Amino acid sequence: MNALILSAVFGVVMMFSGILLKQKSAVRNLAIAGILLLLVSNVLETYGTAFFKVNVNGMMYFDRLALFFNTIVFVSALLYFLLTAKDMEKVGVNYAEYFALIFFILCGITLTSSFKSLLILFLGIEIISIPLYILTGTDKRNLKSNEASLKYLLLGAFSTGLMLMGIALIYGAKGTFSTEGANLVTDKPSVLLVAGMILLLFSMSFKASAAPFHFWTPDVYDGAPTVFTSFMATIVKAAVFIAFIRLFDEAFGTLRAQWQLWIAVITAATLFIGNITAVFQQSVKRMLAYSSIAQAGFMLLSLYAMNTDAKEGILLYVTAYSFATIGIFAVLARMNDYTFDGFNGLAQKDPLVAGSLTVFLLSLAGIPLTAGFLAKFYMLKATIATPQGLWLAIFAILMAAVSVYYYFRVIQAMYFKEGDDAKAPETTPVFRGTLVILAALVILLGIFPDLLLHWFYF
Amino acid sequence: MFHLLQTGLNSTDAGSYLPVGIQILIAIGLVAFLMFATHMLGPKRKTTDKLQNFSSGIESHGDARQPMAIKYFLTAILFVLFDVEVIFFYPYAVNFRELGWNGFWAVLMFVGFFLCGFTYIIKKGALKWED
Amino acid sequence: MSHKKGSQLIAQGSKLKKGMPINYYIFLSLALFAIGIVGVLTRRNAIIIFMCIELMLNAVNLLLVAFSKMHHAANVAVNATAGTDGQLFVFFIMVVAAAEVSVGLAIIVMMYRNIHSVDVNFLNRLKH
Repeated sequence: MNALILSAVFGVVMMFSGILLKQKSAVRNLAIAGILLLLVSNVLETYGTAFFKVNVNGMMYFDRLALFFNTIVFVSALLYFLLTAKDMEKVGVNYAEYFALIFFILCGITLTSSFKSLLILFLGIEIISIPLYILTGTDKRNLKSNEASLKYLLLGAFSTGLMLMGIALIYGAKGTFSTEGANLVTDKPSVLLVAGMILLLFSMSFKASAAPFHFWTPDVYDGAPTVFTSFMATIVKAAVFIAFIRLFDEAFGTLRAQWQLWIAVITAATLFIGNITAVFQQSVKRMLAYSSIAQAGFMLLSLYAMNTDAKEGILLYVTAYSFATIGIFAVLARMNDYTFDGFNGLAQKDPLVAGSLTVFLLSLAGIPLTAGFLAKFYMLKATIATPQGLWLAIFAILMAAVSVYYYFRVIQAMYFKEGDDAKAPETTPVFRGTLVILAALVILLGIFPDLLLHWFYF
Repeated sequence: MFHLLQTGLNSTDAGSYLPVGIQILIAIGLVAFLMFATHMLGPKRKTTDKLQNFSSGIESHGDARQPMAIKYFLTAILFVLFDVEVIFFYPYAVNFRELGWNGFWAVLMFVGFFLCGFTYIIKKGALKWED
Repeated sequence: MSHKKGSQLIAQGSKLKKGMPINYYIFLSLALFAIGIVGVLTRRNAIIIFMCIELMLNAVNLLLVAFSKMHHAANVAVNATAGTDGQLFVFFIMVVAAAEVSVGLAIIVMMYRNIHSVDVNFLNRLKH
């Protein structure tokens, strides 16, 4: 509750900071202070200090999972601000408003991580989506950005319509929006309930960019300004996944026989399409968009398995994926050339940045001693534990092997190819420091995942 | 009439999809047949007059779409937003007495956020009519 | 609640109100919803696509209100406020739809100012 109210208030504060503060660095520092405040207040609530006593009528539930996930999100957002806040200046003139929109998105994320009612789920998803439509189109003169924004808006609104129809049908069957109410299923669920569940499944896969509902993802991620693609592909995607998992665990847990096969097919399709298409990309930004689809496939495995390992694993996975992807996008946002050739010879020009980038890419590919490896390991372990989960796990391993190819292309370009005379991207000490810390965290979590998971229970 | 929506879910054997299959076949067949039939049977006369706009015999000129100043659009959009938000006052008005002071503070907070948005709009100059 | 009980409930609700049975509302709003989906998938004008999305949302609103009435009629003896949450949801959908529309129209205007068209077929720059 702390983070929810403070993020909404801070969104308004950032809105006015654009009018009151003249200097961009002041706005930036205010935003970083705000995210720190959110982080601290959320950790305080985890230890039992709630600032606000609000009667939510059982519509929300701030349990350990929700609070812990919020902490992960705020840490990622803090690192994101430290790395890329300066690059947002290049996008357009409304610098403070970008931060305001991001704070509103964070408000939506706290809703999606803690909902107990389908109403809150709907509001959370919409509060995340609407600012994202705007952020995608912030590069107003760029036709690609316009196009991405319109495409995202039309398809996003369409999937919202599907979600609402699903919610309405569930309400018809159950007479309540509570996710616990939906769970009271006996032997034979009504057709209305199952139809509503399938519609919700489709719309959530849409928001999580799972195949065959992924087609908007590459275009939108490619067209949006790189700094915002970074936010969209990491923190927002994680929030959608946590909502997805909470919904299907709490509301439709007893209907599992009905949806498990759907999820298995969607997972396999997502892994296949994401990985295979990523191989053929020429632009690193577009490759990362497809890679985010591929990683979503791995995250879907936790939805398929839905046991303790899966729930721990998704938290680790989300952390590992967000940290690594934020790092890569932060470097990418400072490059002039987004093709693979743009990375040629980066190791000679800037060994530190190239080294951290290598750590992130290794983590995404799932090489041992990085967080990405353990995250993938948890997912596969959870999948194998379920009956008939073995073939899906084997398929996922095959696809992970394919993914090594396109991640290593970047590493190869950085270390084994001669670059032209163009200078390395400019970096500030803060940027370099944060990048190294991020890389260190990725390795640390890869060796001691308990550092993270211990907090989940403590 | 309603029984289609209420069939049991347990009958998932392939045989129960037979009616659906037949339905699809008939639907596709009918569409294909009709398209083929109209294509073969209908007469075709292609003249340039058919492609012209028809406006009571008067020749059309100019474009109906005149460029409009963006401030009209901005005002209209802001009106829609603020107009629709007022919807939350209806349930409050109905339950005014039952909700008591708690409801009052909640609505006051809502109006407060609302006014923040309004101040922001004015400060940004979105409602400035003269350039 | 089992499927049998659900259909009983539906029958009960429609009997109690003595009005139209709930089935008609379900069919009407599903038809409206389907029209909206077909419109989104086949039209090329961004504004018409947007109107079709609004049609989808309004179909949902209609269905929610109908279900709300149905649950209210079925449970009013137990709980005087049964079914009101459905109508509250409608308020939220309307407000969110308004926010979405204002953002959407702003994006469409932005696009129009750049390419002087609202035809979504122009949106192919991102395809390689």
